[in-house]
Amino acid sequence: MSHAKLAEIFNKDEAKVNWHDKALWYVREKRDTAAHNVKGWEYLRDLASGIKANVLSNLDNYLVEFEKNAQSNGIEVHWASNAEEHNEIVYKILMQNNATKVVKSKSMLTEECHLNPYLESKGIEVIDTDLGERIVQLAKEPPSHIVLPAIHKTKEEIDVLFQEHLGTKPSNGDPQYLTNEARKHLRDKFLKADVAITGVNFAIAETGGFVVCTNEGNADMGVHLSKVHIACMGIEKIIPKEEHLGVFLRLLARSATGQPITTYSSHFNKPAPGNVMHVVIVDNGRTEQLSREDFRSSLSCIRCGACMNTCPIYRRSGGYSYNATIPGPIGSILSPGMDMKKHSSLPFASTLCGSCSNVCPVKINIHEQLYKWRQIITKEQKQPIVKNTILKITGMVLARPKLYAAFGISVRWMLKYAPRFMVYSKLNAWGKARELPKVENGNFDQWYKKRKNNG
Amino acid sequence: MVILINGIKKEKIMGRSSILKSIKENKPTLISLPEIDVNSFEEAINLLETFKKNVESVGGSIKELDQIQDLDLEIKNCYPNAKRIFSQISESALGNVQISEQTKPKDLENLDLAILKGVFGVAENGAIWISDEQFSIRILPFITNDLVLILQKKDLCLHMHQAYKIIASRERTFGLFISGPSKTADIEQCLVIGAQGAMSLTIFLV
Repeated sequence: MSHAKLAEIFNKDEAKVNWHDKALWYVREKRDTAAHNVKGWEYLRDLASGIKANVLSNLDNYLVEFEKNAQSNGIEVHWASNAEEHNEIVYKILMQNNATKVVKSKSMLTEECHLNPYLESKGIEVIDTDLGERIVQLAKEPPSHIVLPAIHKTKEEIDVLFQEHLGTKPSNGDPQYLTNEARKHLRDKFLKADVAITGVNFAIAETGGFVVCTNEGNADMGVHLSKVHIACMGIEKIIPKEEHLGVFLRLLARSATGQPITTYSSHFNKPAPGNVMHVVIVDNGRTEQLSREDFRSSLSCIRCGACMNTCPIYRRSGGYSYNATIPGPIGSILSPGMDMKKHSSLPFASTLCGSCSNVCPVKINIHEQLYKWRQIITKEQKQPIVKNTILKITGMVLARPKLYAAFGISVRWMLKYAPRFMVYSKLNAWGKARELPKVENGNFDQWYKKRKNNG
Repeated sequence: MVILINGIKKEKIMGRSSILKSIKENKPTLISLPEIDVNSFEEAINLLETFKKNVESVGGSIKELDQIQDLDLEIKNCYPNAKRIFSQISESALGNVQISEQTKPKDLENLDLAILKGVFGVAENGAIWISDEQFSIRILPFITNDLVLILQKKDLCLHMHQAYKIIASRERTFGLFISGPSKTADIEQCLVIGAQGAMSLTIFLV
């Protein structure tokens, strides 16, 4: 289903859409306040962008350097070309440790690889331990936002979900009570787990260590209570030096939620005595994206979600309308690279307003890449006849000033005098679910000339 | 890609070499690494006041002590119900839980309070650096119900760039920046303090 069709489903509940829109805009405003409090914020963004550009141009060497340093610290390093290899590697490690119970903290990579269903099919219990992720896991849904996985759910829905799965009492969706019950439930899972799986926010070539950021402490609760830690990372998570964390940790949480830093920024360099630590480095289409000059900078993304919170389309269409692991503007430039046919409608789910590029902490030119994908997709994918015809006519009209003026007069006449069923017909997408503005006499050109003559 | 000649090991090497080969073929020409000009972030601000303000904004509490001798009394005032207490600083005598090499992480399941030394604080975000040297078992600052960190007022830096300079020559095992108590806003964006880690964080400034 296309983005527009899925967005239509989300828009059936208008009150919920309005709440979703406002909640995310509020996060965007918190991001602004946090950013304005940092001296040299724009310079920080420039640095982050420059460091990531260097990383992509030297990625193979940094990965080898990371591997060597990690191994010398007693970390086992694995490489996976694709999702299947990644899942098999994780499963093999579980088997070597006779593990049947796994706790997992947030990792968009393992979502992308569909690790949970794979492990569950092998009889492994996998518990997502981030509260938002646990909520969507219980609801058997994927996350709808990369930082706020359950942003599409109301507290009343979560209340019912917890009553069913955790045996909680009805509370009208009291967040304090529900969070506390989840804490008890997850505590039990942490204590019984054999292996902890985490994502990686940043892996440092220079030291062979990596950093995992959470607010809840769920990654650390899992890792330090288990004998075995498996950290899964995409190849693009590498940064050259530890001092670069200074740049990225200042940007990440402020861009994501408006916090000055996440509650826990944990630096893993060596396994605890007697424990083992594995890192799985995954490609899964990333080197292919690296080959696309116009789109490679999308690999600089640090997964803060700021582009989603600010996007007028995302806020009003919800994460599920993108039908992709990473939704929103950044997802719309990453996903067509993975499967152009499936995701062909995503680059069109944008007003090209550029707000995403303006808030991106690593300065990815997201809206320009959306535009570039559109050009590729219209060439390679069949477009609807109505859209093609209308665009052709529009192009013709716009290229001929006299025709444009005549067209303007007739459209204004139509909007004024034509019956509703014609103006609000299927051909006019702008008249869908909204009233068109009242038509005034004359156009801008006439108004401007009149003004000049009078002045 | 999965050519199994000698079993698992061969497969792993295939993944590695094919990824590295693909990167070599697809990467752009080398772009130089920018230097961080720390002067751009210099600010003439009061480190202590900024730190205190930021700790409170991230949900932590600050207590300033006139003298270290008042520490235990103040901790008791803050946490009157704490029974099982672990202290890793000589200035507090409240500790009654022992941690040895035999202690398993799970044994600390019911720990009420942990008292640790903070190495230094970061003014811009209210974070405090602690590492393996400050806690004898890694689960400690997370599994404890409440956490107390003792910090010297003089041990504050302005921002994360300075912070990474301070820890640059440490022995790298495990360490973290901790900023306030564990929290979540995953239910309708309502902030709830006390998610999976410690329910509260109190910083005693000496």
